Amino acid sequence: MPLRFDKWLLAAAMALFGASVWAAELTVSAAASLTDAFREIARGYEAQHPGARVLLNFGASGALLQQIAKGAPVDVFASADQETMDQAQQQDLIAERRDFTRNALVLILPADSRLAPGALGDLAQDGVKRIAIGNPAVAPIGRYARRALENAKLWTAVESKIIHAQNVRQALDYVARSEVDAGFVFATDAAVMKDKVKVAFKVAPDVPMRYPIARIAASPNAGEAKRFVAYVLSPAGQAVLARHGFLQP
Amino acid sequence: MDMAWSALGLSLKVAGWATALNLLLGVGVGFLLARARFPGRDLLDSLLTLPMVMPPTVLGYYLLVVLGRRGWLGSWLQESFGINLIFTWQGAVIAATIVAFPLVFKPARAAFEAVDGQLEQAARVLGVAEIGIFFRVTLPLAWRGILAGVLLAFARALGEFGATLMIAGSIPGKTQTLSVAVYEAVQAGQDEVASTLVLVTSAVCIAVLMAAGRLAPGRIANR
Amino acid sequence: MELEIDIRKTLRSGKRSFHLDVRLRSSGQRIVIYGPSGSGKSLTLKAVAGLMRPDSGRIRLGERILFDSRAGIDLAPQARQVAYLFQDYALFPHLTVRQNIGFGLAAGWLNPRRDMRHEAVDYWLGAFHLEHLAHQFPDELSGGQRQRTALARALASRPQALLLDEPFAALDSALRARMRAELDALQRRLGVPMILITHDEDDVAAFGEHVIGLRGGQVVAEPAACQAVEMAD
Repeated sequence: MPLRFDKWLLAAAMALFGASVWAAELTVSAAASLTDAFREIARGYEAQHPGARVLLNFGASGALLQQIAKGAPVDVFASADQETMDQAQQQDLIAERRDFTRNALVLILPADSRLAPGALGDLAQDGVKRIAIGNPAVAPIGRYARRALENAKLWTAVESKIIHAQNVRQALDYVARSEVDAGFVFATDAAVMKDKVKVAFKVAPDVPMRYPIARIAASPNAGEAKRFVAYVLSPAGQAVLARHGFLQP
Repeated sequence: MDMAWSALGLSLKVAGWATALNLLLGVGVGFLLARARFPGRDLLDSLLTLPMVMPPTVLGYYLLVVLGRRGWLGSWLQESFGINLIFTWQGAVIAATIVAFPLVFKPARAAFEAVDGQLEQAARVLGVAEIGIFFRVTLPLAWRGILAGVLLAFARALGEFGATLMIAGSIPGKTQTLSVAVYEAVQAGQDEVASTLVLVTSAVCIAVLMAAGRLAPGRIANR
Repeated sequence: MELEIDIRKTLRSGKRSFHLDVRLRSSGQRIVIYGPSGSGKSLTLKAVAGLMRPDSGRIRLGERILFDSRAGIDLAPQARQVAYLFQDYALFPHLTVRQNIGFGLAAGWLNPRRDMRHEAVDYWLGAFHLEHLAHQFPDELSGGQRQRTALARALASRPQALLLDEPFAALDSALRARMRAELDALQRRLGVPMILITHDEDDVAAFGEHVIGLRGGQVVAEPAACQAVEMAD
């Protein structure tokens, strides 16, 4: 009787853990704005590499960095700005970083909004009461938006109207719900909810908004991670990004 | 450090208001459910207990849909009074109140049911009006059970995070309560700030628990 | 003072039902309703106090109609001006003896203070020899002391009738005899009409000026009673 019980236990253990050991499982942390594009890229990658499994983890780039810094088992990191990746590099967390895509900054309004701001300066008007941006402490979109406003000498004028969202997708959601009068998001995010939001104008950035991708140094799946990064950079991956509105890096 | 104090002040304000509201609502509803007999009473009890078992983010989502500018309650408030509860500390109070409500009304109901009905009968024959009976007999005998619930509700309201984040957002000085501030500090890698906030929160919770211990004497109420 | 009761009530519990049908009239100062447990004595007494609502009927105490289903009269217990002594006294556990006795004298939302001074309260504390216990709580008192406190509380508000629900059931026999004598003397002195329900023959003997027998919810003629009164209608 005891012998048979041991065999059952072993079989159960193998069923539970064996599956993950044999399949190549990759954990990818990507900026929130990459949600739809990376889901499609992951499916394409799995189709091309049978047996591979890509686990996606989306959030504000800064928040994702914190998880990695505290030891989360991430294999690949794609952030929405250079600054976050610089911090990762400073902390010796990454190996081999490459820029893989670029985005644009837009100001969006709820689809049924009666306001019509044409430029950043219009945000200082009374009609605009609440503006959503991702929290600059953790979200690149927030930093870009804040820098744009500071460069236009408008930050102090609109600071009291700023509502911090946890990440760019939450900012998008606030605008879609009309909880705010306007919001700063990436052009690709605006496209995701084009029936609920409309683009007021594009904001010219002071630096191109290039997205870097890197393999995490401590990852035990170096080979798989390299293959995934290569796929993102490949024509197949780039085509997916272009379809979602991203620009050439 | 400044941010910690403002977050603490805000947390106490939100939790204080939420608990005060729950005291009124919870005691009222608890008393009603304890005394009134009507079909569907137990169903109503279950519905009112729902916020306790519902994930806070689910609750937050419902509140957002109802109280948001497009929601049926939110749009009415906006049109009639120009009030918008999203991103305000009042919105945070509503989230905290709903989340902690079952923690007051359930112990209140149990406490009222435990009061010997014969004592209330005696009071009636002695000529005291129903309201007088409630404040002079029923409540004094039930307050200990109610207080236990109220303290739990305060602690729950103080720690409310999920629904608060969705309704009130995280605006420093306006809606950034302690729990939200900790979350943001960790996200931004500000470990020292996070540690300070966690210490402050823990100190407040311990103080609340000690006050609770002091207030619960051994013998029957009202000595 | 004349007491007239003519009530009906049906109680259902699961498959069993109990029918109360009591008709009596009495002008005695001391009425005893006598019967075994479950005969409906308590229900009848509660109906007089307003703590039980009959399905139909009429209750009259002296000049006042307390209940009349046909006329739509149902005085609240607060308005009936009777005193009710519960079997286990129902003293307020969170109030002192003094506060208990003075309970009915204080209107409003606040209980009488612990140091309240009121003529009636002080009188009854003295009459029942409870002065030294005035600051005690009910759970610190003996059975006899509790009964006296409950009685004092009932009498302090000058009721028009005194309703007693098996007042001696919770006491031991020696105490019972003493309390009977005390109640007897008290009632004679005060002249307050008294309705007492009991299953104890000794109570009947001591107080049975008019005795009504009750069995299975109906009035019956009790062979051992002094006088059985039935209303012929």
